[in-house]
Amino acid sequence: MALAKEAYRELEEVVGKEYISDDPALLDCYRYPLSHTAIHIGPYYRVYTPRGAAVLLPGSAEEVQGIVKVCNKYKVKFKPSSTFWSAWGFPLEDDTIQLDMRRMDKILEIDDKNNYAVVEPHVIGATLQAEAMKVGLNTHIHGPGASCSCLASATALGGLGPDTLYMGHHNENLLGVEWVMPDGEILKIGSVGSGLGWFCCDGPGPSLKGLVRGMVGTNGAMGVFTKCAIKLYPWPGPATLPVEGKPPAYKAVLPDNLRAYTLGFPSWKAWADSCYMIFDSGIGYVAHRQFNMFGRDLKGAMVRILSDPTRTLSDIEELLKDPEVQKMTEDMKRDYQIVLAGMTPGDIEWQDKALDKILEETGGWKVKAMLEPDLFNWSLLYMIRLGHKNLNLVFGGGYDGCFGLGGTPDFGTSGEPARVEQVTAFKVEWEKKGNVVACGGDGMMGGIGGMGGGGHSLWENFTHFDPADKASTEGTFEFFNATAKYGAEKGLGPGMEKMNDYARWTDGYTTPKEIRDRILGSAAQPEAFRYQRKFKETFNPNDLGDGYYRTLDDPDE
Amino acid sequence: MALEDYKADMERCSQCSYCKWIPFDQVKSWRFAKGCPSIAYNNFLSYSARGRYAVALSLLNGQSTYSDRVVDIVYKCTTCGSCDVSDKICRYNLEPLEMIHELKFRLVEDGQVLPQHTALIEHLRKENNMMEKPAAGRGDWAEGLDIKRVPGESAEVLFHAGCRFSYDEELQETARTAVTILKNAGVDIGIMGENEPCCGGRAYDMGYKEEFTRLAENTIKAWTAAGVKTVVTPCADCYHAFNRLYPPLGAKFEILHTVQYYDRLIKEGKLKFSKTVPMRVTYHDPCHLGRRGEPYVPWEGKEKKIKNQIVIYEPKKPRYNGAWGVYDPPRDVLKSIPGIELVEMERIREYAWCCGAGGGTRETYPDFSNWTATERIEEAKATGAEAIVSACPWCEMNFKDAINTSGDKMKVFDVTNLVKQAI
Repeated sequence: MALAKEAYRELEEVVGKEYISDDPALLDCYRYPLSHTAIHIGPYYRVYTPRGAAVLLPGSAEEVQGIVKVCNKYKVKFKPSSTFWSAWGFPLEDDTIQLDMRRMDKILEIDDKNNYAVVEPHVIGATLQAEAMKVGLNTHIHGPGASCSCLASATALGGLGPDTLYMGHHNENLLGVEWVMPDGEILKIGSVGSGLGWFCCDGPGPSLKGLVRGMVGTNGAMGVFTKCAIKLYPWPGPATLPVEGKPPAYKAVLPDNLRAYTLGFPSWKAWADSCYMIFDSGIGYVAHRQFNMFGRDLKGAMVRILSDPTRTLSDIEELLKDPEVQKMTEDMKRDYQIVLAGMTPGDIEWQDKALDKILEETGGWKVKAMLEPDLFNWSLLYMIRLGHKNLNLVFGGGYDGCFGLGGTPDFGTSGEPARVEQVTAFKVEWEKKGNVVACGGDGMMGGIGGMGGGGHSLWENFTHFDPADKASTEGTFEFFNATAKYGAEKGLGPGMEKMNDYARWTDGYTTPKEIRDRILGSAAQPEAFRYQRKFKETFNPNDLGDGYYRTLDDPDE
Repeated sequence: MALEDYKADMERCSQCSYCKWIPFDQVKSWRFAKGCPSIAYNNFLSYSARGRYAVALSLLNGQSTYSDRVVDIVYKCTTCGSCDVSDKICRYNLEPLEMIHELKFRLVEDGQVLPQHTALIEHLRKENNMMEKPAAGRGDWAEGLDIKRVPGESAEVLFHAGCRFSYDEELQETARTAVTILKNAGVDIGIMGENEPCCGGRAYDMGYKEEFTRLAENTIKAWTAAGVKTVVTPCADCYHAFNRLYPPLGAKFEILHTVQYYDRLIKEGKLKFSKTVPMRVTYHDPCHLGRRGEPYVPWEGKEKKIKNQIVIYEPKKPRYNGAWGVYDPPRDVLKSIPGIELVEMERIREYAWCCGAGGGTRETYPDFSNWTATERIEEAKATGAEAIVSACPWCEMNFKDAINTSGDKMKVFDVTNLVKQAI
């Protein structure tokens, strides 16, 4: 059923003719491909997310409010998205109104006295960071990288990333929200709601921040967030990153108080011990097992390719035969990258000494090849700006994480053999089938310390496939079914590979209720989803969001 | 290649959004972070490289058909190549600019054309230029110049003025100056005058591949018959056509832009400056000289997979991502002029913002084209420069038109104009 003509006309009146379209080809640009976070969509090949009824480009909170009121009048579902990074930004049902928040892209304020920025939905990590650095501040850039919306991450998702060690998760950095509620009312949450500025997202009274976003966020399924304040952190570097070199091998020669190292360890126990010591010592600005996303066997070659503008993927096989690359790859087998940022000359010297002491005690090392000036400056820029994150798609065009070893650092590294080696061996067997990239089984990528700067790490085992190849796509889907089963049997926790299943099913549409209830009912703390159901009934009476908001019926209903 | 040959790319495009921005490492501010003028102006995702991949796939799969919106999406692209640079930061095996060209070619083949383009191409067929002027007047710009005429006379270097320099009365003096500077520096140079062909590059970027091929083959034939070995042009569009599009058709000429020739002459001591030009200027990299000005590298091969699913090409495929365009020669020329202070804009070299004149948009979407140019002028003003200098007549005219519309005081020069002032 297409959108009623009267509804379209009213929506057009809200945003203007220029900013609404229901052209079929244009609507097909707002359907998500299989490249990542949608690999579970079946029958596994060329099935994309549903086509919306219309796309609208609102330019203000008032326009968003107008759209939402029309949607309530006609009982039409709506789905906002800012930078469209993942499957959850797209409609779950036909004839949903897609809101593209692109026109609301301003950094409204940077308060360098109180360390926060007020941003609109389409402000991305790269632009906010660039502006913050001009006043000696920095912003957390979450895992998907510098291309993604800060607001979406802070309000609607978890928002963890490599710099979480120092700057926390985005949900921890949320200091205020302007929210167009599902019924069309506008609510300002936190201190800004009392006219006191954007310094605190909680209160007065019960924290609406917790109600609105919880731990994992609303995934664009509970109204539209049109403005938010994000906490900023000290940046002890230049006002502008001094980037040089030819693309894509850009580098930055930064002052000596900023240093990037790749650390290697003789055992997984040593790896985990080093993480705890880093938490205890309070050193580090960015810490992430980053380049391993290319795989244990391939990352040395890939680092060489990415840091040299003359090289391409066609050089992989030649590089893999190079003894120096082999040595580098072996040195990086159990690794992570760390950036130290000294606030004073004494601080950087202390941090570096502390790091050396940690390495001495754990038997670890700074990988020598990564200390070469070119690689040092390349990795420093890479980790600070996070502007190359979508290299996770470089091999065949598709990737998704699986397993997801989330917990304290030794959760993934303990066991006999270590859990990371167990899942590596499991993946190696599947790599032999030929449907995913053979990278050595261990494509585990993730931060070493989240949750306010320490204690929790999360790895996802990157699995690379070709979405244009039916066998590869189907084989990857089968593999992910197997990893989910394996993870459940081994008590590894929910895998990244099935993170859309509770909302979007294999036909690309809303997951059937009985399956959804089973998934959410067996998750940790299902009471939270029952609480959210009541919250949804109160704030979203016409049910105009979608299944990405996690809700459960009461058991006796 | 045909549009269908890019179907795998369409499915491998992951909607990462890099195509909309300059490379993130190079972002210096919120204000000047955008890379693609098309989506920056039109906003819907469909007006980006990712969007055009999705539109093309939708058409190929029969999920949608041609509409006014589809035509608008396809042609409202300056083919500046910004998306191609930013995409390839992370995606080593996608070719968005090639696909966009193929999409335009397909629309032209299917008769989905714009009337403004049709009129231009009709005129091009009859009168051999993109300026809607009579062919007979093409050599008028050189009237009175003591310069050799090829093919009647032989010269070591052929000066190719290009359509705009030949016909645009406001710019003709630049062409006269350029050829005179080269001649006075001892270059054995000649022109083809009224016999000079159109390079066809702008027709190519509009989607008229057949017309381009006809023009290119005629040009190659004419140059070969005249014994031409080296061609120098002051036009970035012509440079790109000769340098990148002609070699696959068999052309084997040395192609230089005038800024490259000036740079060479300065470094050889054959071009010297005696006057000071006290001016703070900024340089605009024309897309066709910069990121699209990389030299052509012959390649014939096929896709292959290694490590199960890593897509590579056998033999190794050349990687065009703007790294090897012409960036330093114009800057070196400007820096060598006494009194000139060169200040850089935020978006330069391979990630420069487009002037808005390319892809047929100047002719069909004047508001979009003018907005794109105005954005660049704003960026130039932010440097404190009093003049924006370029090396392409299309950029120059688009900037001048934008300034005339806005009433700005920014001056616009070709590098040649400043070289002349310094001699």
